[in-house]
Amino acid sequence: MDDPKVGASPADRITPEEVQRFCEFLYRRTGMSLTEGKRYFIDRRLQERIAATGSLSFQAYFSLLRADADHEIEHLINSFTVNETYFYREDHQLRCMTESLLGAIVSRKKPGGTVRIWSIPCSTGEEPYSIALWLMENWPKVDDYNIEIAGSDIDTRALKAAAAGIYGDRALMRLSRDVIDRYFRPVADGNHQIDEGLRNSIEFTRANLVDPRDVAQYRDFDLIFCRNVLIYFDDASRRQAAENLYDCLRPGGYICLGHSESMSRISPLFRVARFPDAIVYQRPEADNG
Amino acid sequence: MDDIGTPPKARVLVIDDSSLVRLYYRSTLEKAGFVVEQAINGIEAMEKVLSEPFDLVLVDVNMPRMDGFTFLRTLRTSAGDVATIPALMISTESETEDATEARAAGANFYLVKPVAENELLRHVCVLAGATL
Amino acid sequence: MPLVKGSKSQPGGGGSAPDRAALDSPDAESRWTAARALGDDVDAVPALAAALGREDVPRVRGAIITALMRIGDPASVEAILPSMRSPDAGLRATAIEALQALPEAVAPFMARLLDDRDSDVRLLATELARNMNASQATRLLCDLIEREQHPNVCAAAIDVLTEVGTPAALPSLENCALRFASTPFLPFAISVAIARISGAEGR
Repeated sequence: MDDPKVGASPADRITPEEVQRFCEFLYRRTGMSLTEGKRYFIDRRLQERIAATGSLSFQAYFSLLRADADHEIEHLINSFTVNETYFYREDHQLRCMTESLLGAIVSRKKPGGTVRIWSIPCSTGEEPYSIALWLMENWPKVDDYNIEIAGSDIDTRALKAAAAGIYGDRALMRLSRDVIDRYFRPVADGNHQIDEGLRNSIEFTRANLVDPRDVAQYRDFDLIFCRNVLIYFDDASRRQAAENLYDCLRPGGYICLGHSESMSRISPLFRVARFPDAIVYQRPEADNG
Repeated sequence: MDDIGTPPKARVLVIDDSSLVRLYYRSTLEKAGFVVEQAINGIEAMEKVLSEPFDLVLVDVNMPRMDGFTFLRTLRTSAGDVATIPALMISTESETEDATEARAAGANFYLVKPVAENELLRHVCVLAGATL
Repeated sequence: MPLVKGSKSQPGGGGSAPDRAALDSPDAESRWTAARALGDDVDAVPALAAALGREDVPRVRGAIITALMRIGDPASVEAILPSMRSPDAGLRATAIEALQALPEAVAPFMARLLDDRDSDVRLLATELARNMNASQATRLLCDLIEREQHPNVCAAAIDVLTEVGTPAALPSLENCALRFASTPFLPFAISVAIARISGAEGR
């Protein structure tokens, strides 16, 4: 008779109670809700992480996870979410920007006034360039205002790549042929480089979102895209980053988070604002603390 | 022949940071035919009420990041139908001042933990306008 | 082209000496900026503690607590503890959020907190065990539920044990179920906790 333990890894079978412990932890920490139907998927991902961390049991892994040893929470969340960056990613937020947010933002400005938008982290530039492209293609009032778009990241190599503006097919996969032809030119190795005018119009800077001194000089933003970074921070850093973002916004300014993220797990500083295309967060207009 | 169909089930949002409390309310209410969603604090609750229709919210007082009173005040000063969703506030406090504050914040009714199943069902049915 | 390359606005800055004094400013904005700048200044804890005691603007209170959280030493924990007794639910919750993130610094205070005369403090303190290691949390919470009379405090402890409890918790949980057998909710909660713990350990 086969010994069921021979050749079996210690976490070959994760019990339903262990899955429940894990799902409850993940929900409490991130807001991500994993349904029963995804059971097979959960088991697979958990087993991968248990093996990757060299844990001898689910319980050992769970202790490691709770203590966030070696940034395991980041690895775990990455294994449960898709993290590619590409142009027009989460375009419902870009649509929300042009359909809802900008109307409110410019209602408080004179014609010719300045709209300030920040992408942080901007990574290799897909997000700030997407904002620029989307505005030019979709906002009827784009010529009525000065639009300042800033892109910041803690990674200087990513910033260099952003400034260079060279992308492969995968990054451009959501863009129409027409948009690519008008705003990009082909360069070596089958890549495309975004238009020089666009490259020169975005301010790329290095900044650490958690350090109040670093971000003190970023003021009066009308809209901030801060997607898929806060979810990875520890408790203190999340609070601090939220306080910094609040400070960098104008009263009434908006923040967009990543699709798996919610201010409910981050900070009470912002008002929940629901629009047809997205839920975003708003710094209160009147500042009563 | 006309098919009237079954009436839509009343939808309840359970807001409490304890997973066991949420589980307890959910199992009681689902057995009675309600559709139950959950939230862990007032911010998540606002996201949910702004995204889906609810007939009632059950809201605990002590929650992280946005407590029950703050949530109710935010709910009641929101634009649209959301502001008038009935709210059953549940707290560990039995002092009258908490009940007064609950009413001032906009709760329709106030219960003290631990809540018995039949007590919960009775008040939920009344406030959600449903019948058992 | 409507896209304009902006420039960063005002210069940032601020050293720590001016910030500590600014914690006292009549202007909430100055106090907010000061609190946010002091999270890496261990010597600022007394000033932060004093500021927390008199601050009534929630946003500034939050920033003071964030700063104390980042410093995270025993003195910071002592500075945050009194907020657990506040009549303001939001302040209590923020205090717990901060303390929960400092399990090592909070550990020496746990026995005392779980034995506090005020049942609300005992209830809140159970949350602080959530980020401690499983054996330590189990021991602390089982000691509590063995002697605890208040059902809501037990309920809070059992919620944490459901996540972190080891099989060592099972006898205390079973005793608790007997003591509170005729009350609503607790028998349910304990049965879930027992199932979760047994299912997670015994295969």
